[in-house]
Amino acid sequence: MTCREIEQLLKREGGEDRYSTDHGELASHLKSCRRCGEAMRAARLSSVLLGALRNEITPGPHFYPRLHARLADTEIGQMDAILQAWGLAKQLIPALAVGVVLLAVITLSTGGSRPSPPVQAEGETDLHAFSLEEVNLPGAIGRPSRDQMLAFVLAHGTRCDVRGAPCEDESPR
Amino acid sequence: MGGKKDQTPAERWQETAVREGVLIRQAQEGDQQAFETLLRIHDRHVFTVIGSFVRRKQDVEDLAQDVFLKAYLALRQFRPGAPFAPWLRRITVNTCYDYLRKIRRHAEVTFTDLGESERDVMRSLAEHGYPAIDNQHGDRVAARDLAERILAGLTPKDRLVITLREVHGLEIAEIADALGCTRAAAKVRLWRARRAMQAGLRRLIRQEEETAQREGRNR
Ligand SMILES: [Zn+2]
Repeated sequence: MTCREIEQLLKREGGEDRYSTDHGELASHLKSCRRCGEAMRAARLSSVLLGALRNEITPGPHFYPRLHARLADTEIGQMDAILQAWGLAKQLIPALAVGVVLLAVITLSTGGSRPSPPVQAEGETDLHAFSLEEVNLPGAIGRPSRDQMLAFVLAHGTRCDVRGAPCEDESPR
Repeated sequence: MGGKKDQTPAERWQETAVREGVLIRQAQEGDQQAFETLLRIHDRHVFTVIGSFVRRKQDVEDLAQDVFLKAYLALRQFRPGAPFAPWLRRITVNTCYDYLRKIRRHAEVTFTDLGESERDVMRSLAEHGYPAIDNQHGDRVAARDLAERILAGLTPKDRLVITLREVHGLEIAEIADALGCTRAAAKVRLWRARRAMQAGLRRLIRQEEETAQREGRNR
């Protein structure tokens, strides 16, 4: 066995047995090659140490009662916040109305709004998204309602079916 | 609770999804009992993920409380029909990330930093692998101590990725989803975390050998 083969073996994903040194060729190489011996021991060690991080804990008897109490606090807090915000908003309505009119005048006098640049480049590559706003993303992007689908079929159906032209959402073949 | 005996796995899955959908809707309308039922279906996974970063049961429970509270507050934005488990996992991973960012990162660990039990466990594991741990409680604690020492040198994100992959067996796509990053980014982080962990362990093994040689000479 060569050093390269052992390196490949260590890279392979798999169970414990991939580190077995029962294999004669492997054992003799590991004995004679210090570098591979060290890599094999490190790999073996790493797999067991990570396994030791598995910690089976279940909620204790006070966990859910405590959660209920915290949820109740949150509900009250949220209601207070809404009421406070509404009180503030009522006071601000006249000022907001003036603001909206001014903004409209400025927008019209400068020739309308330009599209803003994309907030995030496409194909974003690094980890950054750890905010609550983003946790609802998986699988949640706009499934159309039945009414929307019906409206779509009514609007596009005849064009696709009768004239044989490609639907707008079909990509060119 | 249990499905009917003659149901296929697909039918059972369908039934669970429908039941979960009902619970989510009820919870979104403020039904805390429905929310608790929903959480009880998933709490094991949440606790296990947190438990791989935090050891004391009380601390695990505190973080789990935060996760469930965040989930409750964000639940109104949850779109019906989306799978609940990955959504909850994402909040869990977020919370663990915040926790890992708060705790101090350690400089690289050296063999002389290790306690006697950690040294023993390291020697026997490096030689014999998994069978050497043999469920001895002391060995498990020492192995965990050692694992945490080494992982404490990684960045929080690298630590999250390697734990989710190697401890919880998540697929790259699931990790990327949990971290809110691309698969490529998750792969790169996993590769980097593995390499850092291997390097740390190889350094310890070398230091251990040198120590053994020195002690042999002095004897
Ligand atoms: Zn070699």
